Amino acid sequence: MDESITFLHSSDWQLGMMRRFLGPDGQARWGQARLDAVARIGEVAERTGARFLVVTGDVFEHNQVERQTILRACEALKRIPVPVVLLPGNHDALEPGSLWTSAQWAAHKPDHVRVVTDERPFEVVPGVEIVGAPWRSRRPVSDPAAPGYAGLEPVAQSAKSRATSSSTGGAKGSGTGGAKGAQPAVRRILLAHGQLTSLSGGMSDVPTIDQAALEAAVEDGRLQYVGLGDRHSMTEVTERIWFSGTQEVTAPEETHPGNVLAVTLTGDAITVEPQRVGAWHMVEHHAELDGEESLKALEDWFAELPDKERTYVRLAADGSLPLPLMSRLDATLDALGEVFASVEKWPKFWTVRPAPEAADLDALQLSGPARAAMEELRQALAGGDEAAGAALTLMHRLARDAG
Amino acid sequence: MRLHSLTLRNFRGVAERTVQLPAIGTTVVVGDNEVGKSSLVEAFALVFDFPDDSKSKRIADVQPVGHDVAPEVTVELTLGGRELTYTKRWLKNRSTELSVVTPDGRRQTFTGREAHNEAERLFTENVDPVLWQTLMVSQGQSLILPTPADAEPLITAVTAESGTPVDGASMPLVSAVEHEFLRYWTPRGRPTGDFAKSAQAVTAAELRSAQAAKAMEEVVADIRRAERLALDLEDLSSRLAEHLKSVEELRVRKKETDEILLRRDSVRARAETARARLENHTRTRLERERLLTELERFTTAAGELAELRTEAEKVAKASTDTLHAAEAALAEVVELKDDRRGDVQHAEQRVSELMDRAELDRLTGQQAELADVRARIAAASRVLDGIKVTDALVAELEDSRARVVEARAALAAGVPDVLVRRLGAEEVSLTGTGLDAHGVEVPPQLAEGAELSMLVSGELHIGVPGQLEVTVRAGGDAASLRSLVDEAVRRETDLLKRAKVRDLQAARELLRKSDTASAELQEARRTERSLTAGGDPGERIALLAARLGVFGDEPAEDEDETPKGKQQPAVENVPGQMSLFEEFAEDTFDFEDLVMPEPLAPDDLAGAQRALEDARTELATAERLLADAEFAAAQARKAADEDRSEAQQARARAELAAERVAAATASLEAARAVLADEDVDAAEEQATGEVEAVLEEYTAVQEQVDAAGADHVEGELADALAVAGRLQGERDTLRDSLRTTEGRLEQSGRDGLATRQDTAGVELAAVRAEHENLQRRAEAARRVHETLGRHRAAAQTKYSEPLQSRIEALGRSVYGPTFRVWLDDDLAVAERELDGNRLRIESLSTGAQEQLAIITRLAISHLVSTTENSVPVIFDDALGWSDKARLRDMGTLLGRAGDHGQVIILTCMPDRYEYVPRATFIKLQ
Repeated sequence: MDESITFLHSSDWQLGMMRRFLGPDGQARWGQARLDAVARIGEVAERTGARFLVVTGDVFEHNQVERQTILRACEALKRIPVPVVLLPGNHDALEPGSLWTSAQWAAHKPDHVRVVTDERPFEVVPGVEIVGAPWRSRRPVSDPAAPGYAGLEPVAQSAKSRATSSSTGGAKGSGTGGAKGAQPAVRRILLAHGQLTSLSGGMSDVPTIDQAALEAAVEDGRLQYVGLGDRHSMTEVTERIWFSGTQEVTAPEETHPGNVLAVTLTGDAITVEPQRVGAWHMVEHHAELDGEESLKALEDWFAELPDKERTYVRLAADGSLPLPLMSRLDATLDALGEVFASVEKWPKFWTVRPAPEAADLDALQLSGPARAAMEELRQALAGGDEAAGAALTLMHRLARDAG
Repeated sequence: MRLHSLTLRNFRGVAERTVQLPAIGTTVVVGDNEVGKSSLVEAFALVFDFPDDSKSKRIADVQPVGHDVAPEVTVELTLGGRELTYTKRWLKNRSTELSVVTPDGRRQTFTGREAHNEAERLFTENVDPVLWQTLMVSQGQSLILPTPADAEPLITAVTAESGTPVDGASMPLVSAVEHEFLRYWTPRGRPTGDFAKSAQAVTAAELRSAQAAKAMEEVVADIRRAERLALDLEDLSSRLAEHLKSVEELRVRKKETDEILLRRDSVRARAETARARLENHTRTRLERERLLTELERFTTAAGELAELRTEAEKVAKASTDTLHAAEAALAEVVELKDDRRGDVQHAEQRVSELMDRAELDRLTGQQAELADVRARIAAASRVLDGIKVTDALVAELEDSRARVVEARAALAAGVPDVLVRRLGAEEVSLTGTGLDAHGVEVPPQLAEGAELSMLVSGELHIGVPGQLEVTVRAGGDAASLRSLVDEAVRRETDLLKRAKVRDLQAARELLRKSDTASAELQEARRTERSLTAGGDPGERIALLAARLGVFGDEPAEDEDETPKGKQQPAVENVPGQMSLFEEFAEDTFDFEDLVMPEPLAPDDLAGAQRALEDARTELATAERLLADAEFAAAQARKAADEDRSEAQQARARAELAAERVAAATASLEAARAVLADEDVDAAEEQATGEVEAVLEEYTAVQEQVDAAGADHVEGELADALAVAGRLQGERDTLRDSLRTTEGRLEQSGRDGLATRQDTAGVELAAVRAEHENLQRRAEAARRVHETLGRHRAAAQTKYSEPLQSRIEALGRSVYGPTFRVWLDDDLAVAERELDGNRLRIESLSTGAQEQLAIITRLAISHLVSTTENSVPVIFDDALGWSDKARLRDMGTLLGRAGDHGQVIILTCMPDRYEYVPRATFIKLQ
């Protein structure tokens, strides 16, 4: 079997997902973007000549997503011109009431889409066998990948064995591997969903995937590729074990989201190339604000961001600003909120204080009770009364506007 | 502003009046009600407020009623240093004229609308409206305490006096703060506007979110439930499958044990059959023993009865013989006497007859034999044709036969027995009904020499035509006895007909002879052929019978009863008693000589001839003995009747007994035909053996049943099926629950409950963020509002001090040195203290409130009197609630007030103001 075969690996579409920080409008656009990214996978399939697509879990955000989400997902799937294999994950487990067994799914599912509902191997295209470990509950009691390759024997070796490997090069993760350089007669791909202990940092509250066992299965030729899901960041575990990451970013913490993996198996060699399909950005930014210059720098940072309408910014800031700059910061963020998909002050890391200066107050030419009131607020702020800062900023603005 | 004069023309009730007012000091304008003192105040207001072309009702109202005249007002005043003369006429000949003399002495004149506008401008610029409204007290408003905080001249005055600079630059900020505050809060500090709406939106969104979350919690609970149910169902299904396997095993076992049970049933049935057969044989044995016993008993009885019968018959026969002998002797005597020749001929004829009869007897015997043979052939043929006889029918026949015999015996015992014998040639006719019980036909004629013996149960008429007729009639019981006989005979006949047999014996025979019928038939046919070899004997018999004048066989009984020889009297039967006939015979009658010839054999022709001779000889002797014979015959008849009756009864009993014996014999024979006596016990023994054998077999089968537990398999299977049914029921219940739960989950999937929850969460987060944002702003606005308000209030307290001190200074002249007041933010008097007693104004008496209102106004007037913006203080009818002492103090106060400005008092009660020092009193007429 000399001919190479390319397929696509994606996961964690989580269609129907909502992000509170986006607000209703941003949510609607982002939701559509996630579907558009799925549809773009179809374009990638055409471009790369991929023979099929595997999605390793969490296709839907939930088993109880609204009908619109299912129907639109089916429409997006129709735009993928190759066979599609979907694996139920923890979000859309094959539990009672599962979406996968619903009449809605059955009624609208495109014919070229197959859902892995058990651990039996099947041939997705000639020469490629798929085994999968679908989640049957949101609370598995053991290694969620293990049932997928339990009891498997190494795939048969082809009569002709290649001693050398080929690399299409260039992309991350390309290289050679497989059991002792032998060339399998059939390529077997495992689809699984879950966290690896090494990556979850021991924080997972459900059983994790035994990475060593998985690597052993790859090493002894039982598996030629392991497509994993659950981790939204694209991650190479080994050259044949990958998390594809989500097709469209869902949180600023994610690394390399928005890709689909084009996996090419040639003889005993493997090449994995990420293909960009996402269009959104989620960014965290931290600003030190201590004067006009720093405020200007922040404004410039915002100005340089691309795709503003498709960008969410989580902003952390500390420092202090004179009252006029404080008002300007408020106004700036207010305006940016209209331009960007969403700009969120990160409450946990937002400690910008107004710094009222005597000159600022004098410039208002206030006297009598007004001046006395403002002075009182200034002293309260200086004494650590945070609320006084907002009041002072407001009074400053009102006095300035009234003047 | 100072008022100098006011002139009214055609104004309400006033035709024309002018009031001059001093520029400084207190003026008291006195007038009764309705003289127009209030019109003065009204006129001052109207002249500045309404142009001369005004169509206002207030203008129309001041025109005197019923007079088409033009109301007109002229006012002279000082305003902002200018001397103004301002005249206005409304409604008719409208005009406005304004003359202004500036401080530098220049005069300006305006007319019309220009005059109005200029006057209005000058008034607005120089008179603070708040101050003007505060100090001009209309009628009935003297109680209202002034709230002069917005009166700019007052503020200016108090600011100047208190030394606190007027914060004029802050006023727009104050407005802005107030405006910002009111964006979020009501004046009383409750959330309002978008802020309040956002709070409501948060509450609503929280509710929706909570509802959505609850719905999802139910979904999750359903998922858990369904998972649990699926596990339970799986477990139960496997248990059920296991159980059904054991049910199947039991079914197989039952099939096997059913065969054993079937075998047991079969053996049990055979045992019952064998037992029944044994019982049957035992019954047969007992019945046989009974039959034998009965036969023996009957036979013994029949023997005894037969002996009795024989004895009775002997007696009867003896007596009958005696009678016959007597009668015969008598008849002989008569015959001999009446016709000796006839006797001779008769004897000759008898000889001939005897010859023919001998031949006839032979032929008749041959014919009877032939008939018998043919009857046997016919009977055998009938047997072969088909035997209809049954045991029951035979029993019935036996019963009916017994009844016939009994009935006949009863009849015979109860009816006369008649013997008719024709002696001579005279024709004897016989007719009758209900005759012989034996069914003997009555011949219409009785042949000569013939005799007929019969029982008469009805009537028998014996007639010798032309000579006599004898009627023998049975007694009353005879008819019923006869009918019993008839009934018994009829029944018997019916039964015989049914049985298709002639009689009981035939029926019995039928049963016995059916086996041998064929042989009999063959044998009978051989006999028939030999009997008919010489031709049919019937023709010759007919010939001889015709010659002899006899037809058929004569009854055997007749022959039997015919005396065969000398009859011995049955004296030994009646010991100790001798019949009359015996006495007669013994005494007078020689039977051997007289009565009867020697008995003749049929072929004894010589004897017959000798008898002929003897008859002829004895005729004469017979006549002699005729009388004695007749007597003896009568005696003998009587004795014979009695003996015959006895004999009949004995015979009937004997016959009945014989019938019983016959019946018993027949029954026994019938039973023996089925089973010989010697076989009875053997059969029973064999049956007993069979029973034992089959019981042994049963025991063996039962051991197999017990070994296989066959009797319990069915119960075990039923129990197992019941458990299977229960498990299936539980499984179905679980399955239904699972389906229901899955159906709910399918529905919640269709409803997109998770999406709803997420959407609700997004909405909640959005409105909450919006609300938090608004709240931050609202709190900031409140903080600013509160802080600024507090500082302003502090400043205002300072402002109020000059007014407060003025009021207290004036008040102490009325109330003494303990008088103190406190002002509120609006510079209105809020509380008063007197003699250490501090009260809210509302708590004071009406008089005190009015006095305080007047004092406050005078104090305000005093404060602003130094500015150009001062205005006159005008009271229209005040001090209505003050006592005399207070009036004195207040009068003094009002008088002093005139020292600093223009005080005008309008009143109809001048007494109230008599203590006002240096007041100018103007009395209106």
